[in-house]
Amino acid sequence: MKNSNTQNLRLGIFVILGITIFVLAVYFIGNRQNLFGDNSIIISVFKDVSGLQRGNNVRFAGVNVGTVKDIQIINDTSIAVSMRVDERTMNLIRKNSLATISSDGLVGSMVVNLLPGENNSGLAPPVKFGDTIASISKIATADMLTTLNTTNENAALLTADLLKITNSINKGEGTLGALIKDEEMAGNFKKSIEGLRQTTQNVSAMVNRINAIINEVSYKESVAGVLLSDTTAAKQIEGIITNLEISALQISNMTTNLEQVSYDIRKGEGTLDYLLNDPGAVDKLDATLENIAKATKKFDESMEALQHNILLRRYFEKQARIKQREEAKPDE
Amino acid sequence: MTRNFPMVANLSSFFTETGALARFAGRFFKELVSPPIEFREFLRQCYQMGNKSLLLVAVTGFILGLVFTLQSRPTLEEFGASSWIPNMISISIVREIGPVIIALICAGRIGSSIGAELGSMKVTEQIDAMEVSGTNPFKFLVVTRILAATLMLPLLILFGDFVALIGSAIVENVKGQVSFTLYFNQVFEALAFSDLLPATAKSFFFGFAIGLVGCFKGYNSSKGTAGVGRASNSAVVYTSMLLFIIDFIAVFLTDLIYG
Amino acid sequence: MKEENTYSSSHKGKPVIQIHNLQKQFGDQVVLNNFNLEMYENENLVLMGKSGSGKSVMIKCLIGLMEPDSGTIEVLGEDISKLDQTKMDELRAEIGFLFQGSALYDSMTVRENLEFPLRRHTKRMNIENTEELVLEALNNVGLAKTIDLMPEELSGGMQRRIALARALILKPRIILYDEPTTGLDPITAKEIIKLMMDIQKKYKTSSLIITHDVDCARVISDRMILLLEGTNYAEGTFKELSTSEDPKIQAFFK
Repeated sequence: MKNSNTQNLRLGIFVILGITIFVLAVYFIGNRQNLFGDNSIIISVFKDVSGLQRGNNVRFAGVNVGTVKDIQIINDTSIAVSMRVDERTMNLIRKNSLATISSDGLVGSMVVNLLPGENNSGLAPPVKFGDTIASISKIATADMLTTLNTTNENAALLTADLLKITNSINKGEGTLGALIKDEEMAGNFKKSIEGLRQTTQNVSAMVNRINAIINEVSYKESVAGVLLSDTTAAKQIEGIITNLEISALQISNMTTNLEQVSYDIRKGEGTLDYLLNDPGAVDKLDATLENIAKATKKFDESMEALQHNILLRRYFEKQARIKQREEAKPDE
Repeated sequence: MTRNFPMVANLSSFFTETGALARFAGRFFKELVSPPIEFREFLRQCYQMGNKSLLLVAVTGFILGLVFTLQSRPTLEEFGASSWIPNMISISIVREIGPVIIALICAGRIGSSIGAELGSMKVTEQIDAMEVSGTNPFKFLVVTRILAATLMLPLLILFGDFVALIGSAIVENVKGQVSFTLYFNQVFEALAFSDLLPATAKSFFFGFAIGLVGCFKGYNSSKGTAGVGRASNSAVVYTSMLLFIIDFIAVFLTDLIYG
Repeated sequence: MKEENTYSSSHKGKPVIQIHNLQKQFGDQVVLNNFNLEMYENENLVLMGKSGSGKSVMIKCLIGLMEPDSGTIEVLGEDISKLDQTKMDELRAEIGFLFQGSALYDSMTVRENLEFPLRRHTKRMNIENTEELVLEALNNVGLAKTIDLMPEELSGGMQRRIALARALILKPRIILYDEPTTGLDPITAKEIIKLMMDIQKKYKTSSLIITHDVDCARVISDRMILLLEGTNYAEGTFKELSTSEDPKIQAFFK
């Protein structure tokens, strides 16, 4: 009997230990999913949830404050995501807060980031149970980057044209003579340079816009989640954009040089004589054009790098697919 | 006729055996709900299966966690994802590896001992003696054992999972300078109810399978010491096979529910 | 000594076991074929037969561990095929069974082994002090000191005596012995036989002894039945049968 009593005692300890492990596990897991604490619901409507799932984390200023409770498709462009958020953080989240969806690290699951809204009209009131807050999508940024890409392609084409013309100049007198005598040709040359300048301006504007975004990212943190959730990636992109900027600047400089040269050509015989007699001048023109080509190439490379950035890759791939599809359509 | 078709003979004996096992399970449920309950024997079996397997399960679990982490580290480090170790290890241990490995260990320990014990009781007429003594041996021996195995295995598996995670945490602590607090924070960050609950639910079935097959093989063991050996051996073999089948069904169902 | 109690119809008491036309076969193999047996109160009936002749099957049918294919078995006036589980258990409490290999529960101590048959009957039979009964049963077989040992710690002879104590603990009216001396050395076997006779005297039980041990049969039997080819081939006292001229009967005593 004594024997069986100690057995029962040990069995009891074992069973209670096992159940304790289970209950603790349930508690800790539930705690993470905010099932037990006081919590509230916030809703936000997205165009695209990028594979967000029930149970994914909701972050406010980088702190996990809740989980995704439910995802419902309302129609083809709006998906309602309801989030279970810790009651204690509810008074920190304002009604004009923005929700964005981003990836948690390199290969992580998706997270919903809650970003504070702009404070220009004073503090908005805190959210209440069941409130809907606005969402931002990363489509806007991606669009800009596509435009930038197109611009760059145009620049490349123009440079190629320019190079052709310069080659013609280099080929010999006849061509040069034709160039100089032929008003149309000269006009073309001018147009090309105009176009190049236009492109460069476009690039500049684009770079400025990207810069503005980056600044926002760095200082206001409001679009942080859109483009980049970690600083390394942000730095990387910033670097790429700086490169772009330098390239654009270089193109711009070259174009100015080229314009100068062509102006000189048109100015008169003296200049033409000078140009023809001075092989150095021809070389200079040549070098200038080569520089433009180089700068454009570099610009291209920068764009390429930007495309290869993991955070944006998916978007570009998608864009490429859409483009392909559009190109394929007319053939049908 | 079947002599010329050994496959047919095997197949038909397989179906016969499955049918007999199903009847045995049916009898278990019938006897389970009818009084009296052999409570003392049930507790004794719980002790025998639970406490006595604890050390084995703890050692196995610990080494499992340790080795698993050591083996996965280099690969994950190559991807620079060593911070994912707690995440990955905890999910795979809690969901799959912990329950299956520990159930297999228990099939070896509990299943074979039930098979051997009941087999030798059968052979030495102890089961008959019980019946003559006015005790339903099925109730006394089989119901208590199956019930004890069904209830003890989830506890053993939880315990094994826990020890495995401790083993894994130790590796991370030594090799990766991850504190225990951080490790377990990440573990609970990674785990969801959809990992823990189906795994726990299926471990009841694992326990049931171990008890059922062990008892079935032992209770129907043939005469002689060879019969006892066969009972104990085939209890382990059939249980292991059944465990994987149950696991497959469980994963399939979990996928249906949570997928 | 035994010879004084020679079998004759005038000594017959009430029948306690009656078996008629018992039939049992496993597959194609007929084990019992038209077997008949009657056993009376206070009688030591020895059933002799070669191994594999169906003795154990018969005794298992008798206690309800096996179902016969046909034939009737009446024990203490009850047809066992018509009893439900509860009635069967009550009847079994009146029957002690000494198994061939002792069949002690090897995961339990001697005390628990002896308490086991009491478990189901303590309420029904108003047994209050199981300890007393256990000690009495152990004293009957002279092994009171082994009470807290495990069966594996006992010798074969001691195990057999504990098994006997366990068969007797409910003070049954009938005791069935399945090969009580098998596997024991001759001296221990004699001790067991003596013990069986003492107990028979003390509790006035009827005993059915299955054996192929001629010495055992000579000492203990009031009457003998010889089992051959699944049927009761011959019946009589040890003296009558051992002096029979039938070669088939002679074969039993060689």
